[in-house]
Amino acid sequence: MKLTRSINQVARCALLAGSLALCMTASRAAADLAAGAAKAEACAACHGQDGISPMAGSPSLAGQPEGFLQWQLVYFRSGTRKNEVMQPIAASLSDDDIRKLAAHFAALKPPPRGVNGAAEPAMFSVGQRLAKANRCAACHKDDYAGEKAAARTGGQREDYLLKALRDFKSGARTGGGVAAMADAVYPLGDEQLRALAHFMAHQP
Amino acid sequence: MTVRKVSLVPSALGRGVLAGACAAMFLASAAQAQGLKSYDSTKKDFWEHPPADWFLGDETQAQKGLAPDASPALPASMADLEKNLKAIKLPKGFKISVYADGVNSARQMAWGDKGTLFVGSFGVGTVYAITDKDGKKEVKPILKGLKMPTGVAFRDGALYVVDIDKILKYENAEADLDKMPEPKVVYNDMPSYVAHGWKYLTFDKEGRLYVPFGPPCNVCLAPTSLSQVRRINPATGEAELMAIGVRNSVGGDIDPRSGDYWFTENARDWVSDDLPSDKLNHIGKIGAHYGYPYCHQGDMLDPKYGKGRQCSEFTPPALKLGAHVAPLGMKFYTGKQFPAEYSNNIFIAEHGSWNRHKYQGARIMRVTTDPQGKNVKQEVFASGWLTGAKSFSGRPADILLAKDGSILVADDWAGAIYRISYGK
Repeated sequence: MKLTRSINQVARCALLAGSLALCMTASRAAADLAAGAAKAEACAACHGQDGISPMAGSPSLAGQPEGFLQWQLVYFRSGTRKNEVMQPIAASLSDDDIRKLAAHFAALKPPPRGVNGAAEPAMFSVGQRLAKANRCAACHKDDYAGEKAAARTGGQREDYLLKALRDFKSGARTGGGVAAMADAVYPLGDEQLRALAHFMAHQP
Repeated sequence: MTVRKVSLVPSALGRGVLAGACAAMFLASAAQAQGLKSYDSTKKDFWEHPPADWFLGDETQAQKGLAPDASPALPASMADLEKNLKAIKLPKGFKISVYADGVNSARQMAWGDKGTLFVGSFGVGTVYAITDKDGKKEVKPILKGLKMPTGVAFRDGALYVVDIDKILKYENAEADLDKMPEPKVVYNDMPSYVAHGWKYLTFDKEGRLYVPFGPPCNVCLAPTSLSQVRRINPATGEAELMAIGVRNSVGGDIDPRSGDYWFTENARDWVSDDLPSDKLNHIGKIGAHYGYPYCHQGDMLDPKYGKGRQCSEFTPPALKLGAHVAPLGMKFYTGKQFPAEYSNNIFIAEHGSWNRHKYQGARIMRVTTDPQGKNVKQEVFASGWLTGAKSFSGRPADILLAKDGSILVADDWAGAIYRISYGK
């Protein structure tokens, strides 16, 4: 599916672009995306054909910021982030593989609004207050689409969000160079983590 | 001269250091009156898991979006590095080139006796060894999975690495870079938090390590085991308190003329774009108080902790470096390659801003000073890594003198080491 879109882009580019240089850049990007898509075939079983995860405990990757995706693969590869499935996979990736995979998933359409069904109003509003008090938007942005190394939390699987928050809380995961998430989540109780996960899963 | 020995408890955040004063860090009633969060900082747990406020600020509308930048996850390609270096401005006669690429998140550098360049890193938890192979530089990750191993130092055949809450010693470290020996812990009275827990190591002539202990906050009255610089003897594990009232110091160096320690210090954030200034400090007497958190930049009382204080109580900086320039590694120039007037000058790697609407820093400064720290002046030596109001092509993180008198620069943004040379 992704591949077809890339080919369409090339075709459109060839038709419309006035400048040859522009066209070449775009087609190279499209070629990279196609390479990323081929490489990503192996990811589909857990992360979904379109990057939207059908599997409990496995995150959706579609529309995640490119920097975030790259960092997580780098962390898996260097052993800074631990996961039995992902560490061996990441160990075999080159820098270039990581660039292509990240570009591929970043370019996929993020999970659609309402992907996680209807929110439970009381829990949602607790989560909303917590998100505000803990200034989640400072890094994850107002629409929780994420940016650079900060993940898109909006529309992520609720069970995965809760797992991630609990891992940060327990110290199983530190959350990158400045350990931002580990610090941010530490004072919160499990009920609060559940509410936050529920709120984020039902964003934007 | 009296040397104050630190009374060291098993944990850096151990008994007795949680003085009543730190309960004042956040006065619950005042905080509630302003609708802010309140904290109980009297418990040990608080300091082991400090709140994330240091990088979030108050998030008023004016401050919104000033969070720290995440660096690129992958090192820049050689082609990009060469393009970036074309924009670097240097004084006449100097030139800059790529020494090694592919050094992800490169921080402090140290030379091995046999010519291996060891490089620490930030979040990727790796220590690299860079050697010559077939006329090219080979970059090899030799230690992986460490926690924030930013600081590395080398002495008498041994590599020393900071693994956030301990200093590790790898004896005979250059014998087989593919199989590093099991390390020995030479010092572990250090906090385990990450925020301002990353640190560089500096050996003095006698083989003692100068080690900074930053507070895990933007501005707070931390336990007495923090906000200081210690001098640690790795052979015995003994530590002395050399400077107190110090915020986040990352780098320092010994003045070859006097043997005194000089160090850079990152000032508090969230005041304004232009206040307070980051600092270059000189230890002229042991155990002096450098002002934090009461007085910043030698002449600016903290809006909260400054109450009832005067800046004249504290040791002022040798030089104000500028606000949010983020000085990290520094070195006295003792080489022969550069013109004679550079002898004993200090080069400072400025990492550049995050908590400022228009970034500054991200350059290398040249500081001239006499051994007493009088008559201190600075000028820009190398610049051009700022590519926009809030964008970098690179961020200098450390300086190291090479045997031939050129200097090496570690860049943790582009993941590379550069060489700056003079003449042919």
